[in-house]
Amino acid sequence: MDHFFNNLFFTYLPHIAMTLFWFGVITRIVKTSRSIQAESSQFLKKSGQRIGGNLFHYGIILVFIGHFTGLFTPPELYHIVMTTEVKRILAVGMGSVFGTAALVGIIILIYRRVSVARIRKNSSPQDLLLLLLLLTEMVLGIFSIFTTAGSSVENYAALGEWAQKIVTFQPDAGEVIAGHGLTYKLHIITGLFIFMVFPYTKLMHMWVAPIAYFFRSGWQLVRRGFSSSTNK
Amino acid sequence: MKIQAQISMILNLDKCIGCHTCSVTCKNVWTTRKGVEYVWFNNVETKPGSGYPTDWENQERYKGGWTLDASRLKLQIGSKVGVMKNIFSNPFLPTIDDYYEPFTFNYSVLHSSSRFTTPPSARPYSMLTGEPMEKIEKGPNWEDDLGGTFKERSKEKNFDNVDKEIYGKFENAFMIYLPRLCEHCLNASCVASCPSGAIYKREDDGIVLIDQNRCRGWRMCVSGCPYKKVYFNWKTKRSEKCTFCYPKVENGEPTICSETCVGRIRYIGVILYDAEKIAKHASVESPVDLYQSHLDLFLDPHDEAIVAEAERQGIPHNFIIAAQNSPIYKMAVEWKVAFPLHPEYRTLPMVWYTPPLSPIQEQAQSGNLGMNGMIPDVDDMRIPLKYLANMFTAGDVTPVREALVKMLAMRAYMREKTVNNKINTDVLEGTGLTPEVTEEMYRYMAIADYEDRFVIPVSHREYAYDAFGDKSGCGFSDGEGCGSMEVRLKDLFGGI
Repeated sequence: MDHFFNNLFFTYLPHIAMTLFWFGVITRIVKTSRSIQAESSQFLKKSGQRIGGNLFHYGIILVFIGHFTGLFTPPELYHIVMTTEVKRILAVGMGSVFGTAALVGIIILIYRRVSVARIRKNSSPQDLLLLLLLLTEMVLGIFSIFTTAGSSVENYAALGEWAQKIVTFQPDAGEVIAGHGLTYKLHIITGLFIFMVFPYTKLMHMWVAPIAYFFRSGWQLVRRGFSSSTNK
Repeated sequence: MKIQAQISMILNLDKCIGCHTCSVTCKNVWTTRKGVEYVWFNNVETKPGSGYPTDWENQERYKGGWTLDASRLKLQIGSKVGVMKNIFSNPFLPTIDDYYEPFTFNYSVLHSSSRFTTPPSARPYSMLTGEPMEKIEKGPNWEDDLGGTFKERSKEKNFDNVDKEIYGKFENAFMIYLPRLCEHCLNASCVASCPSGAIYKREDDGIVLIDQNRCRGWRMCVSGCPYKKVYFNWKTKRSEKCTFCYPKVENGEPTICSETCVGRIRYIGVILYDAEKIAKHASVESPVDLYQSHLDLFLDPHDEAIVAEAERQGIPHNFIIAAQNSPIYKMAVEWKVAFPLHPEYRTLPMVWYTPPLSPIQEQAQSGNLGMNGMIPDVDDMRIPLKYLANMFTAGDVTPVREALVKMLAMRAYMREKTVNNKINTDVLEGTGLTPEVTEEMYRYMAIADYEDRFVIPVSHREYAYDAFGDKSGCGFSDGEGCGSMEVRLKDLFGGI
């Protein structure tokens, strides 16, 4: 790939994407937190939602955790417990299992959204566009697993190096993966695009994941709607 | 002791005529918006029947309410981990088909099309898809007045341990109207199952509300509520429920369903209870004991020590006065003629019911059925006692029988008095009633004056916050900001 475009997409675009992502997420949470919520079509039609929804969500969460830890753990740290070779086997293994789960899930969800009239008629363009965007990303991801498995260990290790150079603001980040295959590159660009549109879509529901439920002390919640004594 | 006030309701089923005025006025006030077409915060079902949504009393299917796990309360839908693992897909969630697919009719065709060659008719159209519907399969009150077959209707849970086959015969058929609304429970399972913490009970009057700004649409409350009285708005993707018409109640007015009830069956009043004991009283071992355990939570508003303690804890004076004049306290605690609906769910519901009488007068007077003096034998009523007990006391017939005996005795006594102008205390024997109490019961339950039915204290909202900032606001809205939801959803942040 041309040097200029390589730099544009893999050195500068990640920073632009992250800026847009964090700016959007923060403004959205501060300004319009009330509109951030999960959306569900399960109520309109149950069929396929149970298997599709669970496969997709659990799959993609595990894939995300895998990407995050895999890309951002420095070699010095993981070398304490494993070699890069072992890490690659882990990545390929878990990535293909959870990636396939998520892929099967999203295909069921897309089929459901298109084929069930009640859901199709009550979908916004966003609902389908997001599904297609994620599908593209996942298909590219699954294909890149084959490249990872078939190429050298250095090729694989470079991906982590690139990511770490991005977050530590190294200007030569793009150089690291300049020689990588097109599947990787498209996977990265699509991924960055998802980050950029993230704050303006229903993907924001991740931020309201009700983790606090685990830490709620009592079952019952009582609010003082209005003070009942005059001395307050 | 933590004294709290609860505004609660009693429905006198003996007088319900099943006219649905409550449902219709409620619908007109609260649920005429998109996404809640199928929602009836108040509905009236004919029992026996599967109800709305279908089979709502079957907690093996819907997993509503609480269960005891080693004598500790646990949600039927599972522990916190159990709830969270199902968050991407809730296996116990009813779908809209369990309620009914909302529909409208294309009436406009009747006056816009050219002349019909056949008598015109309007076709039903689905409000979910806008497509014409071949056939309406279900409605909000599909089994009204025993519609449908006995085979279908008799599947409901209240027939447990009742030899139900004989009630399929025409001459043995019976029915009850059961108006239902949110129970505003003391131990609400919707509150406990909400992962976002959006549902809460108001300390001041005990009304359970959903904070629309914090609801994230995880739908666990819909499963958690055993009465299926939390509804998912499929358009806004948030849950909504009966508000006990809190804007009216705060002003000392009855809810719209009570105000418009033509049979004057609804009573609203204050009950004082000890909030610290809720968990203990909701977790008594045997479900049969739950009714008494629930009663034991209530505090006597005439007890001076209780009044002094309530004043000290900041219960407003007008709430205490209202509690002393409360029709709820009289009917539920003093006379014991009202019962909670399905206490076995362990939510400690606060909308109670007076069981219906169904004497077979003709048979009784011709001597075919047992008479207890002037009173027909309660065990020979048209509605089987066990059926009522399954509804109101987790299967214990004794309290229900006693209530029915009291109501029959009241009728006999007042009939003697008004028709024969005779005071006949014989009919009260063994019921525990005195002539004074009987006449008071008669005043409340038969005459049911507006002032006796509704004793609602005005809330002290003026102390809560400065309402000046609310001027020129948009009042009650369903979510974020003013204007119609469709417009707001097109907002940049609402999606593409």
